[in-house]
Amino acid sequence: MSERTTKNDVVVIGLGNILMSDEGIGVHIVRRLSSQQGKFPDVNFIDAGSAGMNLLHLIANRKKAIIIDCAKMGEKPGTVRRFTADEVVSIKHLTHFTLHEIDILQVLNLSKQLGECPPEVIFFGIEPETLKLGQNLSKTLAVQIDSHISAVCEELI
Amino acid sequence: MNENININVHHITRVEGHGNIVVNVTNGRIEKLQWQVPEAPRFFESMVRGHSYQDIQTIVSRICGICSITHSLASIKALESALGIEVSQQADVVRILMLYAEEMQSHILHIGYLAAPDFFGTPSVVPLVSRAPATVKAIVKVHRTANEWANLVAGRPTHPVTIVPGGLTRVPTEKQFRQLQQSLRNIFPDAKAIAEVVLSVADSIPKFERPTEYVSLKQTSPPTYTFYHGDIASTDLNDATLPVSKWHEAANEYVVEQSTAKWAKWHRGSYAVGALARLNNNYELLSPMAKDAAKQFGLVKGCCNPYMNTVAQLVECFHLIETTIGIIDGLLTKGLKDETCLSGGKPPVKAGRGAGCVEAPRGILFHEYEFDKTGKCLAADICIPTGQNHANIQKDFEKLLPEILDQSEKDIRQKLEMLVRSYDPCISCSTHFLDVKFVQ
Repeated sequence: MSERTTKNDVVVIGLGNILMSDEGIGVHIVRRLSSQQGKFPDVNFIDAGSAGMNLLHLIANRKKAIIIDCAKMGEKPGTVRRFTADEVVSIKHLTHFTLHEIDILQVLNLSKQLGECPPEVIFFGIEPETLKLGQNLSKTLAVQIDSHISAVCEELI
Repeated sequence: MNENININVHHITRVEGHGNIVVNVTNGRIEKLQWQVPEAPRFFESMVRGHSYQDIQTIVSRICGICSITHSLASIKALESALGIEVSQQADVVRILMLYAEEMQSHILHIGYLAAPDFFGTPSVVPLVSRAPATVKAIVKVHRTANEWANLVAGRPTHPVTIVPGGLTRVPTEKQFRQLQQSLRNIFPDAKAIAEVVLSVADSIPKFERPTEYVSLKQTSPPTYTFYHGDIASTDLNDATLPVSKWHEAANEYVVEQSTAKWAKWHRGSYAVGALARLNNNYELLSPMAKDAAKQFGLVKGCCNPYMNTVAQLVECFHLIETTIGIIDGLLTKGLKDETCLSGGKPPVKAGRGAGCVEAPRGILFHEYEFDKTGKCLAADICIPTGQNHANIQKDFEKLLPEILDQSEKDIRQKLEMLVRSYDPCISCSTHFLDVKFVQ
């Protein structure tokens, strides 16, 4: 969807690369949620793709942000977990050579330092089965997408 | 003199590729010095085969989260050339404004979030917020404005949705263009403040030079500091240029054992692309404010210090802001025309093969496609700027290390890392998944 719409207090952001199979789960979910925009007129649904640093601007000065992303959590593939930034620590290894590798939790930290982070930031992490090249989700994740969408919708009621 | 050095900046995680720096010095003798890219090939070219010409830019825009507009525009230029699809002058100009927005987004990210911590000696931008709050706020403001700029013309800050074969699905209104102009005027002071801060720490930019071939686009008619049109130029070619259709003659890709990413060479064993390459080929065409900024830093045509690529990006930021304000004036003076395309774009005129080229923020980018008469993609070839820079990074290492062997291992490592970062590489941009463990 285009973001040339009113900036609402609540934003749901799908992150990931839809060319890397389950890595794109966040985008697949937010695209499906966008089709329910009528049910949630006061929510912005944003397919942010793999633009990690743009997250800083997409969440700035909102009241609530829900971020949906593929997450390596050591769980069974397809497992969804709802968590806040305080409940996890990042174990991502970054070389800091390039901005193309982003730790989302660091972006959130920067947002807090700038005093513009929403008071409520909720993550929905979905454990991937595969991150291989391909535009389709694995069957394991594809069959569970409706329940993941329901879980996010409950957060919006 | 360091007799023994062992540097191994090495990270390999599951599917992401990373760059490694490996240095082994024993008894003062350099035994191993390598810039390695153990990135798993991603074969994006195979992914577009069999798809309609209408889907190509949507797919390739997902190759990268930072250069998505760039990939979209290179692909759309290539497929329009292959299929004989024409584009109006207005759509062409608005596409250039999209590209400018992405150059700005990317440059300010690199300067502000990666290079600034190097200059200030902090591990990341986060500690800089308390140390230099005004500077970080200026960086965020300029980046946010660039995002809004891309959002206006491309429909999204990244992964554009308005580009279709033959034109655009929508064009901003006159009022929106005027608002954009005002936003750009508003960030001039912030851009100047950022430049002042970088200038104040410019002594920390290593003084290193290596005569290098610089390759970029060059546009002579009309003469323009180009990111979008023109032919392929090289500092080794004097005024001669190569048409984009012959890009394989410039980007001679080859395979080396130390890297899964291909390397490239033209007239020498390596060449460099990026802001410094553009500046070296087009310096006299920079906007007045950009030239002033270059002068402040002593950045002149012929500079062959790769660390100055970051300064060249900063200089280009002034050029992008100043030039965009003028381009919008030109568009509005002519009057905006209602000529938007449907979401599928225009139909193919013929079957064929075509190449498209744009300057990505980090250098010249080539796309080439072949289509049948129905517009089905038969073949694709993409050559990214970072791939073209790998060999040059290695050559820089080979000249730099002997010059700094008397420094501490920590300083050597820092200078080698800074050198890689100065190229603003795009090594692993396709995945950003969270990798977390839960706090007990």
